[in-house]
Amino acid sequence: MNLVEVKSLSKRFGNEQAVDGISFELAEGSATALIGPNGAGKTTTLSMLAGLLEATDGEIQRKKNLTIGFLPQYPRFFPWLSALEFTEMAAKLSGVDAKKARQQSERTLGFVGLHQVAHKKIGGFSGGMKQRLGLAQAIVHQPSVLLLDEPISSLDPTGRREVMELLKSLLGQTTVLYSTHILNDAEEMTDQLLFLKNGRLVEQGSLSQVRRRYEDPHIRVRFENTDAAEWFVREAPWPTSVKGTAAVIPVKAEGPAIQDVFRFLSVKSLPVIGVEHETASLEDIFLKVVAGK
Amino acid sequence: MKQFSALLLKEWRENLRNYKIFWIPIVFILLGITEPLSNYYLPQILDATGGLPEGAVIELPDPEPEQLMVAVMGQFQLIGMLVLVLAYMGSIAGERRNGTATLLYVRPLSYVSYFLSKWLMASAVALLSVWAGFLAGYYYTAVLFSAVPFGEFLAFAATYSVWIVLVVTLVLFASASMPNGGLAAGLTLAALLILQLIHSLFGSQWDWSPFRLPNYAASFLDIGPDAVALAWTLALSLVCLLILATMGIWFAKRNRAKTKV
Repeated sequence: MNLVEVKSLSKRFGNEQAVDGISFELAEGSATALIGPNGAGKTTTLSMLAGLLEATDGEIQRKKNLTIGFLPQYPRFFPWLSALEFTEMAAKLSGVDAKKARQQSERTLGFVGLHQVAHKKIGGFSGGMKQRLGLAQAIVHQPSVLLLDEPISSLDPTGRREVMELLKSLLGQTTVLYSTHILNDAEEMTDQLLFLKNGRLVEQGSLSQVRRRYEDPHIRVRFENTDAAEWFVREAPWPTSVKGTAAVIPVKAEGPAIQDVFRFLSVKSLPVIGVEHETASLEDIFLKVVAGK
Repeated sequence: MKQFSALLLKEWRENLRNYKIFWIPIVFILLGITEPLSNYYLPQILDATGGLPEGAVIELPDPEPEQLMVAVMGQFQLIGMLVLVLAYMGSIAGERRNGTATLLYVRPLSYVSYFLSKWLMASAVALLSVWAGFLAGYYYTAVLFSAVPFGEFLAFAATYSVWIVLVVTLVLFASASMPNGGLAAGLTLAALLILQLIHSLFGSQWDWSPFRLPNYAASFLDIGPDAVALAWTLALSLVCLLILATMGIWFAKRNRAKTKV
C-alpha cells in the first residue's frame, strides 16, 4: 500500500528548474534512497514532501492523517533549550498529548543515545550529538513517513556507523525516504533507488533491478606492465580491451567463463598479478547513470 | 491550544534565558529614573560641568511632576521604542534565517499560535518594561518633588500601554514579512517616522489617529483627553492591531518556504 504518491512533481525557482516532473511512490514500510550529485534537486524534493515548499506543478498525494518526521541536512536548534525540552516541544507541536510527549521524548532520547545529556543545553552539543537530536525530533511523534536529508554525510566514520545502526532498526516500522551521496549506505538499506540528475529522475527501481540493468559483468586480468596486457589483448580469442595495465573481457552469453581465462593464461608465461570477476558497484552505476560516464 | 501553550513555553524560555525579560525592563527603569534625578541634581550637574559665570544668578524653578512624567514618556518614545524594535526584530525573520524555524515549520504548525505566542510574550515584556519604568519615574518624582495624582498616573500609563502594544504588533508584523531582522527594524522605524511626519504635517484634525495615543496619555495628567475622541482612537488602534496581526500571520505562513533548510 502506498503512503505517498508523487505525480510529475516540479519546482521552479525563477529561471532554474530545480525539480522537473518526477513521479514515484513510497510503499508502506519501505526504504527509498534518493541518490544524486549536489544540486540534483534532492533537498527541494524532500522540502516539498515535508510541506515546506509548494510545488510549481504536479501533485503529492498523501494518505489521510499521514504524519511526517523530517531531518534536514544541517538541523538547527534553539541553543537555549535542553535536548529534552526541544524534543518535548517537537512532540507537542506534532499533536502528541502533553503527558505522552514527555514519555516519548525520554524514550526517544534514550534510543538515540542522548539520555545522559537530556537536560543539557543544546548550545553545547557537538555535531554528532545534534545529528542524533535531529533524528530524535524527527521520530519522537512516531511518524508514518520519515524524510531524511543526507542523514549521515556530515558525520565521522564512527558516528556514521552508529546512526546507520539506528536507522536500520527503524526500517520495517517506518517508511523512510532519505537522500544520500554515500552509496554504501544506500546499498545497506534500500528497497527502492531513485537516481536524480538535474531535477529529473534518470533511473529508478529496486537495488537488484538497477543492478541487473547496469551490472556489466567482466573479467579483469591484471598484469605487471602494459606490454603484457597489450600482448594478451592481441592474442586472446575473445573481444578484449586494455585498461591501464589490465585487460578487461566483457562476460556475455558468447564470452568466456573465468576457467577459460585461467586455461588460456596457464599455457603462456605472462606476468599476471590477478584475475577477478567483477560486476558494477553501486558507485560505478552512480557514475554511469548520473555523471553519464 | 496545545500548540499555543507549547510555543508560549518556548518563547518564555527564550526571553528568560536570553535575559530579555531582565535587561529590557532595566533599560526602561533607568530611563524612568533619569528624568527626575537629573532635574533634581541639575544645580550640582551645572557646577560639575564648569559652573556658571561669576556673578550670574539663575533661578531654577522646580519642574512640575506632570512635566517629568511626560518627559519620561518622551524617553520611552525614543530610546525605549528603539530597544523594543531591536530586541524583537528577529523574532520570526531571525528564526527563518538561521534555520531554527525549519524544525517547527515541518510540523502541522498553526501559524496563528506561532505568531500569537510571540506577540503575547513580546507584549508582556514591553508592558512589564513600560510599567516598571513609569513606576520608577513616578516614585522618584514623588520622593524628590511631589506626587502626580495616582489615578491620573494610572490612566496615563494605561493609555500609553495601548500604544506600546501596537508598536510591538508592528515589529512582529515586520519580522514576519521581511527577509531579515535588520530590514524588519528598518521597516518598523521608517513606518513610525514617516507616519509621524505625515501626522505632524497634515494631521492636526486627525483626532482618532493611533498616533494621538501618547498625546492623550499625557493629557490625562492635565485636563484629561476628550472622552469621545479617546474612545474612537482606542477603537481605531484595535482595528490597526488586528489588521497588523492578521497580515503578520499570513506573511509568517507564506514565508515559511524561505526558511533555511
